[in-house]
Amino acid sequence: MRLLAYLRSLASSVFHRSHAENEMDEELRTHIQIRADDLERSGLPRAEAERRAHVEFGGLERFKDEVRDARWETHLENLFRDFRYALRNLRKDRRFAFVAIFALALGIGASTVVFSVFYNLFFNAFSARDASRLAVPVIEDTDSPGDRSSLTLHLADLDIIREQNRVFENIVGYITAGGIVLANDASETYQFFDARVTPDAFEFYGVPALRGRGIVPDDGKPGAPPVFVMSYKTWKGTFHEDPKILGKTLTIDGEPRTLVGVMPQRFQAYGTQDDIWVPISRTRDTPREDGEFSAEILARLKPGVTLQVASADVDVIVRRLALLHPHDFPERFTVRVQSVTDYMLSPAGMAPVFHSDIKHLLYDLLAAVAMLLLIACSNVANLLLARATMREKEMALRSALGASRGRLVRQLLAESSVLAIAACAVGCLFAWVGVKFVPAIIPRVGDVYAGGRVGGETGVGLNPPVLFFALGLTVLATLICGLAPALHVARADLQPQLAGSGKGGNNDFRHGKLRAALVVAEVALSIVLLVGAGLMMRSFFLLTHVDLGFNPKNVLFAVFRPPPSHNKTGTVQIFASPQGQVVLRQVVDRLKALPGVTNVAVEDTIVGYGPGRGYQASVAGNPRSEETGILACDENFLQTLEMRLLRGRWLSEREVRTAQYVGVVNQRLARDFFADGDPVGQLIYVKAFTGPSRMPQDVEFRIIGVVADVKNVGPQQPAIPTIFLPYTVRGGFALLLKTSVDPASLRHAVQEQVWAVDRDEIIGVASPLEDFLQKFTYATPEFGLAIAMPLASVSLLLVVVGIFSVTAYTVSLRTQEFGIRMALGAQQRDILRMVLSKGFTLIASGILFGLLASYALTRFLASQIWGVSATDPWTFGGVVVLIVIVGLAASLFPARRAARVDPLVALRYE
Amino acid sequence: MTNQAQLLPGTLDLLILKAVSLGALHGYGVLLRIGQISGGALLIEQGALYPALFRLVRRGLLKASWGTSDNNRRAKFYEITSAGRKRLREEADGWNRLVAAIASALGAQPEEV
Repeated sequence: MRLLAYLRSLASSVFHRSHAENEMDEELRTHIQIRADDLERSGLPRAEAERRAHVEFGGLERFKDEVRDARWETHLENLFRDFRYALRNLRKDRRFAFVAIFALALGIGASTVVFSVFYNLFFNAFSARDASRLAVPVIEDTDSPGDRSSLTLHLADLDIIREQNRVFENIVGYITAGGIVLANDASETYQFFDARVTPDAFEFYGVPALRGRGIVPDDGKPGAPPVFVMSYKTWKGTFHEDPKILGKTLTIDGEPRTLVGVMPQRFQAYGTQDDIWVPISRTRDTPREDGEFSAEILARLKPGVTLQVASADVDVIVRRLALLHPHDFPERFTVRVQSVTDYMLSPAGMAPVFHSDIKHLLYDLLAAVAMLLLIACSNVANLLLARATMREKEMALRSALGASRGRLVRQLLAESSVLAIAACAVGCLFAWVGVKFVPAIIPRVGDVYAGGRVGGETGVGLNPPVLFFALGLTVLATLICGLAPALHVARADLQPQLAGSGKGGNNDFRHGKLRAALVVAEVALSIVLLVGAGLMMRSFFLLTHVDLGFNPKNVLFAVFRPPPSHNKTGTVQIFASPQGQVVLRQVVDRLKALPGVTNVAVEDTIVGYGPGRGYQASVAGNPRSEETGILACDENFLQTLEMRLLRGRWLSEREVRTAQYVGVVNQRLARDFFADGDPVGQLIYVKAFTGPSRMPQDVEFRIIGVVADVKNVGPQQPAIPTIFLPYTVRGGFALLLKTSVDPASLRHAVQEQVWAVDRDEIIGVASPLEDFLQKFTYATPEFGLAIAMPLASVSLLLVVVGIFSVTAYTVSLRTQEFGIRMALGAQQRDILRMVLSKGFTLIASGILFGLLASYALTRFLASQIWGVSATDPWTFGGVVVLIVIVGLAASLFPARRAARVDPLVALRYE
Repeated sequence: MTNQAQLLPGTLDLLILKAVSLGALHGYGVLLRIGQISGGALLIEQGALYPALFRLVRRGLLKASWGTSDNNRRAKFYEITSAGRKRLREEADGWNRLVAAIASALGAQPEEV
């Protein structure tokens, strides 16, 4: 009610201003009348008394103004008037307004896009309820630091943690170890990524289903009808948004289940790319089964509980569990609780291989856009300052007519805020377009093969916090841009302005200095941006041109395996068994016959990332023992990947078929163990080798050849020593198809051929090998580059505008001087040199500061670059050359105009 | 003119509050009252009074209503509010302390230092 009254009074004071005005008039009139009455009584004639009363009162209007000033409605009105005035002014100078708005809009737009990514990835990454309190316990093996993974537990242990902890509101478990399952209806077979979840998981997430319902605790009770829930992606992709899908029954991994719900688009159960969810049926009495897959854990902290407190609490409980079941845990370990965002952003345990640090990348990019915004602001400040100089006379006149300095400053700020508001609107438009492109390039290492699952359910968009951020930037921009000209006015001295020619006169010097300083700052900031982007570019170039030791082009990587329900022994073992071998051989033969396939090899890893690791190898007569990778493959592997054989020969078909204990080693191993000697024919011992029998035993292999190193812990790191063995010795389950066509186009054909041999096999992956390189290694730096490059380019553009406008302006001020010089005999090229050298001075000082700043700042980029030093002289040099060229070009145009000045015209300029 | 003191900044509000506290007045009346209670020693520029009055009304220290003056003219009368009285008391105390302090400072003799 009070608010209403307040609004009414506000409205009436704004709209009935004349009423208040009339009252004031009347009051002052009465005052004078009463005074006149007094004077009349003292004997003056009425007319004289009134005159005297008026004179005594003084300037009626002046006091009225003072009274008005005391009213805030007046401020509001002045504000409107200032804005109207600013609009009128800017409309008169459209080119200026356009350039200024465009520059600011680029700054605001770019900042908004980056902030949107930052906010949505860090603070709004998950759709679950109270997502900021979601946490994941991770376990770190103290004996091998950095070996960190999410804590996985048997479900019985999960219950123990649930009961004993004092820090979590609730915890849920989910099992994705099964990975992919087959599901059939009457006519079709589908492959789904599945997750088995504890029945309370969907209550825990708190995300309402799009259709039907999520899984509820009753679904997990013994005897409850078997159900499953589907993701939006699957509903849309596989079932074409069938509106009548609820109630559909699918046989999932051998068990018929009824679909009860479809989840909304954003829901991905925090980043795991699941297609379907199935409840785990389990009661308290279910025994702790040793063969059971263990569950990953997601917890929600109680409000106010810190991660440190939670870590301490959980660590104690897990230590107790480790005493009971020592085999399930490392010998020495610590358990920490991480926020789910942190956990997702730092691929657990995989960081050294994937080398992606998107968290710091985003901080760097935020810093970069802040610089870009500063450049844009100083650009606009510069333009405004130029205008302020042109308008000095106007300002002086207005000031002489009674405008207070505050009023003039307000007017200038109104102008810059009109610019900033327009720029905000345009910038948001830019951002709106920009964020549409961003999701496509966010590195989503989100599949079963990667530890990090960034942005699985992140929607990058212009949500309210992002828009507020843009608004905040606008206010900031207004202040930064408007400050310089406003200060200028506030300090200005009227007298010389009115007396002088109005072309600036004595203030020019100081003024010119401020403008020059702004340009220097712009150049310096843009150098920092360009150096940063340049380093990232060079690093990316080096990264993508690393000699991998193999050719990933036109290679399809495919994995197939029996469904989890048949899979008690493990995939590797199945394919080493006689039946597995038969299946594998049949599939290989069929694939070789496919049109477009030129070669097929069997192996056991994603080439470039991981041979089986953790084996200790040694040779006779050498005390040295080294961690060695084991890669099981067949006779076609060398040729399929176009690896280089250095000595000896590759595995033969017979050796593979008969499972001979022979091996080809890589150059690193040969060098480490044999130095310059010939390893061919030598024996190499491997400790605790796990063959098909699964029992670790010490074995020896005869070396038959040496190959050039093939990258095997990601392209960034040197290859570790590796032995290539016949896959029959150890088991292999992956296929490499060398193709003459686009490998991705063969996916379906491969699936058909596998299913033609055995309908029950699951095709785990079928992706071009290059896709893995892209996803694991190139995606993050590419993402950084995709954002940093446009930022750097825009900064360069703004610098061009800045240098151009300052030079052009200086030239226009000095036209007269040039005329005199030319009249006195100066040549065109002298004038040209004068102007260019002025421009060059600015650029050179900018470069100096910029290089110093870059030198200090690029170290923060160190985590994002690889293969180049953070102070790479080539990059620094290249950027300097670029800025000099661009800067001189920008000042050349006004310089030429200056040089072409006709002395007669110039002298008449006055 | 010589025995008329310059008004210190900030004291106008205090004087107005004091004048009005003695009874409701219109603007001109406030001037007369101040002249009367200060024994003609304080001169206030007539126009300067109104911004001050307006400010005090705005702050809720005075309230204004239209009435009729002695010589039958419609005039705006100012009355002090309870907030105004409170403020007057505080300001008067502050002022007295200041005056006492300055007087004692000015009255200091060399031997006292």
